[in-house]
Amino acid sequence: MKRRGRGIACMWYPIGFTVAANPSAATVKVNEDGTATVLTGTVETGQGALTVLSQIAAEELGIAMDDIHIVSGDTDVAPMDTGAIASRTTYVTGNAIRLAAEKAKLILFDVAAPVLGVKPSQLEARDRKIQVKNYPQRCLGIGEVAHRAQVVMGEPAIGSASWNPPTVAMDPETGQGKPFSTYVYATQVAEVDVDDETGEVEVLRIVAAHDCGTAINPMLVEGQIEGGISMGIGFALQEEMLFDKDGRHVNPNLTNYIMPTSLDMPEIEVDIVPSFDPTGPFGAKGVGEPTAVPTAAAILNAVHDAVGVRITSLPATAEKVLAAIKAKREGATKKLTAV
Amino acid sequence: MTDVVLRVNGRERKASVPPETTLLQLLREHLGLTGSKLGCDVGDCGACTVIVDGKAVNSCLMLAGQVDGREVLTIEGLATRDRLHPIQRAFEERASLQCGFCGPGSIMSAKALLDENLDPTPQEIRDALAGNLCRCTGYTKMIEAIQDAARELRTEKSARTAP
Repeated sequence: MKRRGRGIACMWYPIGFTVAANPSAATVKVNEDGTATVLTGTVETGQGALTVLSQIAAEELGIAMDDIHIVSGDTDVAPMDTGAIASRTTYVTGNAIRLAAEKAKLILFDVAAPVLGVKPSQLEARDRKIQVKNYPQRCLGIGEVAHRAQVVMGEPAIGSASWNPPTVAMDPETGQGKPFSTYVYATQVAEVDVDDETGEVEVLRIVAAHDCGTAINPMLVEGQIEGGISMGIGFALQEEMLFDKDGRHVNPNLTNYIMPTSLDMPEIEVDIVPSFDPTGPFGAKGVGEPTAVPTAAAILNAVHDAVGVRITSLPATAEKVLAAIKAKREGATKKLTAV
Repeated sequence: MTDVVLRVNGRERKASVPPETTLLQLLREHLGLTGSKLGCDVGDCGACTVIVDGKAVNSCLMLAGQVDGREVLTIEGLATRDRLHPIQRAFEERASLQCGFCGPGSIMSAKALLDENLDPTPQEIRDALAGNLCRCTGYTKMIEAIQDAARELRTEKSARTAP
């Protein structure tokens, strides 16, 4: 019969990598039509990085995301970036882009201040304007200021910046240090049905609560979490590279390397935990890889809750679960006969 | 060589191809329609899904000769110059794709479903997508988008049929 169980798992995960330097660089140029061009060496792999990075640049410059033209990945022209790896793009590349945009913005403030009759520190960039704080009617269009910066002041509004997460090297005596600049945290809860006659595990529901700092684009955060959970389900129950005794891969195709399909996916509830990291761009950290970390542990804990067996090697295939259930029953029978 | 005459996205197309040519090769290499993707080439992944006479098929498993005289719809046949197909728009609005490689196949599977059933249950949508493997998204936002598109297509249909 089917037995239901619930399991919970928590994780922390470092953002960016450590040991070597981990920098990102970026250039932001504000154009005479009020748009801005961002140059970055990072790469869009479908996670939505360029969307989030455009949002960061737009927020800093007080313009719309549609006003940003982002040029990425071409190492001939783009500033150096360590890469779309280690869940670091929003945090590290995002910080570089925010700093570069801030430098371009400060040039615009210097140019606009004498025209508006205030100090640069009294200005802000909002709604496609450079305006006096608390007096938004005293303003100039951002494009007009960018044009003036070029043809009147001779100082085009361009900012370049790089950012390398601050870390503390390990103390050789104590082994203590600060290997990463920041961490993210998550908890996932799995609800499963385990068939105790076949060992088959069906994941019914996953609830995932993730801290990623400020969620700059909540829909993309959800997409990352849902995708990570599908990878976690494959890791927990299905996916295994098999090798024969000569080391040959025996399931090198999708016919017998089984990954989750739409029929294997449970109902997913995502909870983005409100959080703010002062070292991240607008409080953001990251979300990519951590999403796949707690899923398998939560599912295996749910299997334990359902049928009382601990599976300690992945994937927890029906055969493995059934063998563990049988072993547990035999153990129980032996104990009874001993008494 | 095998001569085939078929309708692709509403237009008659002719080709003369070696007999072992698959429908996917015919589309991509002979007709220049590269929207359908070559993933596994053995019918596991669904990236090459197109619609032949109303049914979603893996175009890597069908020979070009088998589509002679038949009607093929590919991802290129969905959008018009003015607008995306409601399924494509819903996929965009829901951020249903990430790397996008499975997208053309997933969208064609969804189209074949909605052509037959404008009010599918979530389970029917999962069944329709079962042959389209996606490594990025967990399918969740695709299922939501297909529900959105079905709703919009139902509204369009009732507007058309209203007196």
